[in-house]
Amino acid sequence: MPIQLTSQAYCKMLLHAAKYPHCAVNGLLVAEKTKDKKKDSHSEPVLCVDCVPLFHGTLALAPMLEVALTLIDTWCKENNYVIAGYYQANERTKDSRLNQVAEKVAARISENFSESAIVMVDSSRLTMSCFEPIVLIYDHHENKWKSREVTVDSFEDWSEAQKITSALLENRCYENLIDFDNHLDDLRNDWTNPVINKSVLDLC
Amino acid sequence: MASVSEMYDVGWEEMRDKLRKWREDNFRNSEQIVDVGEELISEHGSKLGDDIWIIYEQVMIAALDCSRDDLALTCLQELRKQFPDSHRVKRLSGMRLEALERYDEANKHYDAILQEDPTNTAARKRKISILKAQGKSTEAIRELNEYLEQFVGDQEAWHELSELYINEHDYGKAAFCLEELMMTNPHNHLYCEQYAEVKYTQGGLENLELSRKYFAQALRLNNRNMRALFGLYMSASHIAASPKVSAKVKKDNMKYASWAASQINRAYKSLKRFVKHLCVTNAINYIHFSNRI
Repeated sequence: MPIQLTSQAYCKMLLHAAKYPHCAVNGLLVAEKTKDKKKDSHSEPVLCVDCVPLFHGTLALAPMLEVALTLIDTWCKENNYVIAGYYQANERTKDSRLNQVAEKVAARISENFSESAIVMVDSSRLTMSCFEPIVLIYDHHENKWKSREVTVDSFEDWSEAQKITSALLENRCYENLIDFDNHLDDLRNDWTNPVINKSVLDLC
Repeated sequence: MASVSEMYDVGWEEMRDKLRKWREDNFRNSEQIVDVGEELISEHGSKLGDDIWIIYEQVMIAALDCSRDDLALTCLQELRKQFPDSHRVKRLSGMRLEALERYDEANKHYDAILQEDPTNTAARKRKISILKAQGKSTEAIRELNEYLEQFVGDQEAWHELSELYINEHDYGKAAFCLEELMMTNPHNHLYCEQYAEVKYTQGGLENLELSRKYFAQALRLNNRNMRALFGLYMSASHIAASPKVSAKVKKDNMKYASWAASQINRAYKSLKRFVKHLCVTNAINYIHFSNRI
């Protein structure tokens, strides 16, 4: 039921926010598709292994979002992933509220994945050292999005996530992060971010 | 730490030209501007001649973006010495106060400029930016509307207003702003394409048809605009799938959609590095049956 973030998912979200500090950014979280849908698997956390950065700037327009959801969904199917969540960092650092855009996209994701979550990035606490997690995680309960307490258990391995994110921020790796907007500007830009994924792997 | 000139093997002229390009294209790559500009000023300041003043301004603004108040203050002080009564420099002082979140002081600064020169557009726009930074979107929209009644030709302002409206989900008014921009810039494919996106988001058959037309127009103006191509595909597909259209409209839109799909596939295939997971054919079929957001 609750989601858990791997280091790769967490650091790419933060790199995306760091690359466009003056813009709102958003993206999708993906999890590995599990074969069983038993009732008791509800207590198992959903591990978000990766994220796909989507847009920066104006987030509230539909057409490119629909294109992105469709292409990424296809990519997920080919890699045995499922879109499990959505992240967003608002334009103003002091504002980390969940807004209409987040709700709309998450509602769409929920059609295919009932336990989807919204992750809001609190940019006001973004530091190089990443000494604390700066995400707010929301689950859908009774038609409302409720935030849950973010602890070390919200991560597959918090100290690894912290170490890797901090290192990548220091090295300005966010300059090489590709989001879907970059891909639309130039199709050669690969939104799966193989270069950053490799850097993460090297630091693990 | 290695200097920029060492790392990239460039001379001071190239650094100066790069800064000029970034200035002309209005890029906000502030960290790079700070890196290049700081070195250029400190190592080669004497060679820059009168260019140095505009570079000080550019580097100062970039420094504010990067929380480098030390560098921003240095640039500002040089500019103040050289241009003691300049409103342009006063505006930069105001921006520094904004960056330090001293909004009340910044506003006083801009009000002082406007007292001396009520037509100073830069100061008025900074005041609106402060409202935006404080999250006061309604006030920002109201002030910007008032500003545009006086300064109807300010394209940057129309574009800013369209973005403010989009963030408030007021797509009708955003479309109006983009219509103003399209009227004065009929060859700008980006405005066409954004207008089409707004119309698509507004929804409804009439808006979808308009959106398709403007995606097509954007494509005519720039046949490499991928957003326009995808947009054409999406809007045509949705129109074709609508139960409210006649058989002819359905047929026409399926033709447009399939043309767009083939162009999209061509664009992906033409990439020398054809990456398998970017295979669009399956995705295109999937979009046909997806619901709209």
